[in-house]
Amino acid sequence: MSILVNPLATVDQLSQSGSQLDGVPADLENSIRFAGARLTQAAGILLRLPQDIIAQAIVIFTRFFVGPEGGSLKEYGAKVRNPVALVSIIEAHTTQDISAGSLYLMAKLSSTPRSPRSVLNVYAYLDSFPSTFVDASEFDEEKDPESYYLTEGTYHAQRTLLLRTEALILRVLGFQTHVALPYTLCINYLQTLDVFSHPESQDLAKRAFAQLNTLLLSPQLVYLTHQPYALATASIYLAARELGVKLPDEEWWEVFDTDREELGFLVVAMRSMEGFAAEEKRKWGKRKVPLTVEEIEGELERRSLLNGRG
Amino acid sequence: MDKRHPSSFQQLEKLGEGTYATVFKGRNRQTGEFVALKEIHLDSEEGTPSTAIREISLMKELKHENIVSLHDVIHTENKLMLVFEYMDKDLKKYMDSQPLPPGYDSHGGRSRGAGGLPPDTIKSFMYQLLRGIAFCHDNRVLHRDLKPQNLLINTKGQLKLADFGLARAFGIPVNTFSNEVVTLWYRAPDVLLGSRTYNTSIDIWSAGCIMAEMYTGRPLFPGTTNEDQLQKIFRLMGTPSERSWPGISSFPEYRQGWQVYATQDLQILLPMIDQVGLSLLSGMLQLRPEMRISAEQALRHPWFAEIHQRYGGIQQQVVAQQMGQQGLNQQVMQQGPGPAGASYGTSMAQGAY
Repeated sequence: MSILVNPLATVDQLSQSGSQLDGVPADLENSIRFAGARLTQAAGILLRLPQDIIAQAIVIFTRFFVGPEGGSLKEYGAKVRNPVALVSIIEAHTTQDISAGSLYLMAKLSSTPRSPRSVLNVYAYLDSFPSTFVDASEFDEEKDPESYYLTEGTYHAQRTLLLRTEALILRVLGFQTHVALPYTLCINYLQTLDVFSHPESQDLAKRAFAQLNTLLLSPQLVYLTHQPYALATASIYLAARELGVKLPDEEWWEVFDTDREELGFLVVAMRSMEGFAAEEKRKWGKRKVPLTVEEIEGELERRSLLNGRG
Repeated sequence: MDKRHPSSFQQLEKLGEGTYATVFKGRNRQTGEFVALKEIHLDSEEGTPSTAIREISLMKELKHENIVSLHDVIHTENKLMLVFEYMDKDLKKYMDSQPLPPGYDSHGGRSRGAGGLPPDTIKSFMYQLLRGIAFCHDNRVLHRDLKPQNLLINTKGQLKLADFGLARAFGIPVNTFSNEVVTLWYRAPDVLLGSRTYNTSIDIWSAGCIMAEMYTGRPLFPGTTNEDQLQKIFRLMGTPSERSWPGISSFPEYRQGWQVYATQDLQILLPMIDQVGLSLLSGMLQLRPEMRISAEQALRHPWFAEIHQRYGGIQQQVVAQQMGQQGLNQQVMQQGPGPAGASYGTSMAQGAY
């Protein structure tokens, strides 16, 4: 065990998710995962959680759905695919529940825990927006508080569900809640590269962090396939290129255990994020990305009808 | 994980009750093996306790002969059951069950538990305690709550660290931690002073307190409050100043008007300890965390020189015989110095280090 590295997803786990086994097409799976990770990030910000806790929650959320033993989007983890799990969970878990459960769990394990009530209030508020891709300006507009008010009865039911979701996540992940992140390594590497004397070093560090935050939402699940040191190295490489900051001519990434091939792959992954996000936004427009079992079944039905006509 | 049902274990007598868990002795219905069942009730307001989550995720990784082994986790709707290897008693109970040394009787002013342990036992226990701590620290885990109640002893004379509920992994750079850790009596002065950037040295302080307690049979610094705890430490170790401990005045709990005590000689308080042992003990009981010896260094201390050669043989038998004399363990006596002791000795020699 080391604090600086993560258990990585195996090829098997990546090629067969529970959702794919249940017939959820890969593009829809990507859309849902992207929406779920964004939701986790937004909720984390509203809960005023430090970014490292939010990042850990997104990684846990992503790990949950990976691999044939993981949760299926189709079932939403309603039942864990693992047949030996003895507890049947009656309520249908939604992607949103898994997002809330991951955030609640990781905050609880940190020095900044959040109460179930705060978490549920924030998710109710975010759920009150009619579309998944909300313009930032919409958050500034006054909202009718009744649209996101949780009654006492609803709160109690949702709290029970939240705590069961937490237990479900722990079971699926085998209590492995350790998530190593690249942020502190990134600063450490920037210091090693001696760039903090550079006038633009502040911007460089910010830009590298922004790349790391964006990468949390990657459909290539790079936080599950690459170690933090490689992510940190690639974020610095790309940020320096974008800002025109000169780094050593030598192959400095080798010092941080990242070879040229891995560096190239991660840089491409980072640079493709803008196009991916724009495409998702265009594809879903004012609609909501389906996050519940009913919604996803509705979407699958809609698709099969469209295909039938085409 | 999750392969077993709670009914796979027969629940026997209650062994103890903690703040968030109850521990029972249990028996595996299939193998007949004894286990310790730590039952954690899931709170309807907070869900799975963070202490339980930390303990499980750390214990799954920390496999070492001086750390109690987690066999299984059974998670049901309303409870979580951790299945640990069975240990006979904790160090506190072990010390309390020691016969009083000659010369001490019930009128001697020191009542139950007055007896310290024999020097050979102390050395063996300290060595094993430090090995467990070194393994934790090597894996970047702070125990944070070492005390006699959390050190388990079995009939083979093995000592194992338990109760990792307060433990946590530490990274680089070390995050600020909560200073609500470690039972008061074994809490390091830097933690008492409000430090939130403490490190592995806090476990070493606790180990030093435990070593002294094994000699006297009484806690070294039995404070009642944070302030009183510091007072008791200063009375023995001397009141620190900016001169003896640069930077001390910037700790949150630093006070101007502390009573000034001179440093006492540990030998006076612990007349039974030998000079080499005393040098190790004072290495552990340094007020300044950066001056404290590390677990690795402590294991290489000359006091343990003989143990490196004869640990598996004699040391272990000494303890086993003592437990046997108390009628605790006829089994080990029957086994005698045979294969069990020998194999343990070999593995110690080839161990993790």
